Amino acid sequence: MPPAVTDSAGEYRGGAEAPGRPLYRRFARDEVGVIAVLVVFVAGVGFFHPEFLHSGNLLSITHNTVYVGLMACGIVFPLAMREVDLSVGGMYAMCMVVGAVLIRDGLGTWVALIAMLALSALLGAVNGAVTTYMRLPSFIVTLATAMLFRGAGLALADGKQITDLPQSDSFFTVLGGNVAGVPTAVWVFVIMVAALTVLFTRTRFGARVRAIGSNREAAEFSGLPVAWTRIAALSLSGLMAGVAAVFSLAFFMAGDPTVGQGYELTAIAGAIIGGTPLAGGRGSVVGAAVGCLILSAVASALAFFQVPINWTTFATGGVILVAVAADTLLRRIRDPRPAGG
Amino acid sequence: MLAASGLVKHYGGVAALDAAGITVERGEVHALVGENGAGKSTLVKIISGTVRPDGGTIELDGRTVQFANARQAADHGIAIVSQELMTFGDLTVLENLFPFGGPGRLGLVSTRAMERLAAPVLAELGLRVSPHARVETLSLADQQLLEICRALLQDPRVLILDEPTSALPREAADRLTETTRRLARRGLAVLYISHFLEEVLRVAQRVSVLRDGRTVLAGEEISAVSVDSLVTAMLGDTGPAPAARRERAVLGGSSLSLTGVGVPGRLREVSLTAAGGEIVGLAGLQGAGHLAVLDAVCGRARPAAGSVRLPGGTVPRSPRQAVAAGVAYVSGDRKGRGLMLDQSLWENATAVRRLGLGRDGFVPSRRRLVQRTERLVHRLRIRGGPYDIAARLSGGNQQKAVLAKWLDADPAVIALDDPTRGVDVGARTEMHEIVRDLACDGKIILIASTDLTELVDVCDRVLVFQRGRITDEIVGEALSEQALSLAMNAGFAAPS
Repeated sequence: MPPAVTDSAGEYRGGAEAPGRPLYRRFARDEVGVIAVLVVFVAGVGFFHPEFLHSGNLLSITHNTVYVGLMACGIVFPLAMREVDLSVGGMYAMCMVVGAVLIRDGLGTWVALIAMLALSALLGAVNGAVTTYMRLPSFIVTLATAMLFRGAGLALADGKQITDLPQSDSFFTVLGGNVAGVPTAVWVFVIMVAALTVLFTRTRFGARVRAIGSNREAAEFSGLPVAWTRIAALSLSGLMAGVAAVFSLAFFMAGDPTVGQGYELTAIAGAIIGGTPLAGGRGSVVGAAVGCLILSAVASALAFFQVPINWTTFATGGVILVAVAADTLLRRIRDPRPAGG
Repeated sequence: MLAASGLVKHYGGVAALDAAGITVERGEVHALVGENGAGKSTLVKIISGTVRPDGGTIELDGRTVQFANARQAADHGIAIVSQELMTFGDLTVLENLFPFGGPGRLGLVSTRAMERLAAPVLAELGLRVSPHARVETLSLADQQLLEICRALLQDPRVLILDEPTSALPREAADRLTETTRRLARRGLAVLYISHFLEEVLRVAQRVSVLRDGRTVLAGEEISAVSVDSLVTAMLGDTGPAPAARRERAVLGGSSLSLTGVGVPGRLREVSLTAAGGEIVGLAGLQGAGHLAVLDAVCGRARPAAGSVRLPGGTVPRSPRQAVAAGVAYVSGDRKGRGLMLDQSLWENATAVRRLGLGRDGFVPSRRRLVQRTERLVHRLRIRGGPYDIAARLSGGNQQKAVLAKWLDADPAVIALDDPTRGVDVGARTEMHEIVRDLACDGKIILIASTDLTELVDVCDRVLVFQRGRITDEIVGEALSEQALSLAMNAGFAAPS
């Protein structure tokens, strides 16, 4: 290392405040807001309808969130690098059908599980490869593959549910059952949120995703493997749809080619509510999970207030708009200087 | 016709223009020249109504006028063809010629009326294209002509051409200057801004020179000036000779070499070598090819002919390969090509080693990365801490942050592209000091700059480029702004 500039009196000591720089600020910036909204909302509904707070209800809200929540956590990766994956809903349905067909036709359930995960990761990677090598926007590629996947599922299942599965198999009893009174899927959801948070915030891969989303040109100049990272991010988001499909199949014990319609948009909405902007560069896996929980909680609360079920979609739209507007507003108040100054 | 005088414009305490003026008569091509930052573009923007002056007057035919915006200037008959192409590639020639809708009735545009209006103008400029061709299918030169057509369709009295030939190949440029003269003969007043001094001598009847926001040569007859005298006027009294260059041993061993490198449209048979410990400057007017050399070294421009060899023998085929082979690319475009503005200094300063080369493992230790950043902050005297967001740093410190992320990867070759663009004097001097230290340390340094003083201050030698070739090399004591400016302008105007 060269000596560079010689020291002189009165030199600025860069990072004097650095060692004390509190971790809570970094954390506070991104997730505390959504978590607070969820807690306040749940407490607020509980004030009027105490039965809303019963553990059974809260657990069922969480369980309902798991499938779309897993996809939301996965979709944070493409979103943070300014890509989008619209194929997760179709992927979810197709993987479920494929798993059900394999099991029905006598393949071992655990082998079928591996096949479902491998297929989803592979097809996610195909999304990424087509996007990269055909130089198309991921929006268009995954819009097309969403239909390909769902169509393949429909054709494979002949448009019907696949039901005659060995329901006493450990695959269904363990993965579709409870552990310590909580659905296995919920435990796995919690574990996946933690694992993906570490992957997103602490690893080289996560940092590459954020770097490319923040400034793609600078990333290219810095020698980052942009193409490979994009393929990996879309593969990961496909894989999470596969994980959701595994637990969905285990719980419902049927392969239904029509499930998960519009899940991709709910997952994206959850990620955005949770603080992953479409502009890329940032994101939060925890936020995405909490964002999906908020959407489920709102839907459930409407039932408690005896709002007709058909208003749920309307309410969901309202929640998304309010959440995103509030987030932007708060950001502007906290950080009045526009970036780039 | 057009007379601007005593124009003053300040940008936050800095005077961009300070008593500048220009007079353009009907029937003449009046050239305006000056160094980068001399105030040419500010002057043009004031005359064309996009910038309001802090002081001074503009007269048209003896009547004082004030423009609140570009539309008002256009209404007074001032048309401008700006430096950047402003064509809409997806639209047709006709649609480009009538951006505000064109002739027609009831809000419907009449294609036939547009064709009727456009035909004579297209013919006059010798633009032989179908009026229904999509503009992106046209050559660059034709698009430039199209812009002039658009300006002419406004039936202007004053036509401003801002660097009209900088993006054009030689022949097209010659044709354009010929057209310009013809338009002036037809009675138009043409204000012609150009970097190319030889071209100015051919096209203009009179010339004005701006230096540091002042008009230092006002409407001189073209027969009374030469490239030499224009350069002297642009640079002024350059003061005492630069301080003696520091002695530095040029290390042998591994070097960077280009052999017969050709990049279509940018470089032709360029060969050069740079050894460790050398600071080699690359100079040229816009489009001369000096920047293509940096692109070739950084793996961004794939040579069609010849080869680029990095120290160690690697041939860079992509930016990623170049980075892996130890090439650093420090761009003056720090916001576009340098930094992740929304991320912290430590994330930026460790980006190349951590993310590009991937040398810090799959789960890098944040503490160690921050420590490394602190050392870089100290070494480069960055005013900011590791946790500061890059967007919050000043321009000079952002530029140092770009340098930091490359030094973190310990490169063998450092390519700098306008490394102190828009940076304050203090930071600029510090950057130069650092670059010299890096050379002492045995790095190979290539530097391109629009700022000639910068090249004179830091380089051991400067290669001068014209039209894709190396045309001159200025070494050591002979290196001065004057010599560079002359070499950049020399000889590409075989009188036609």
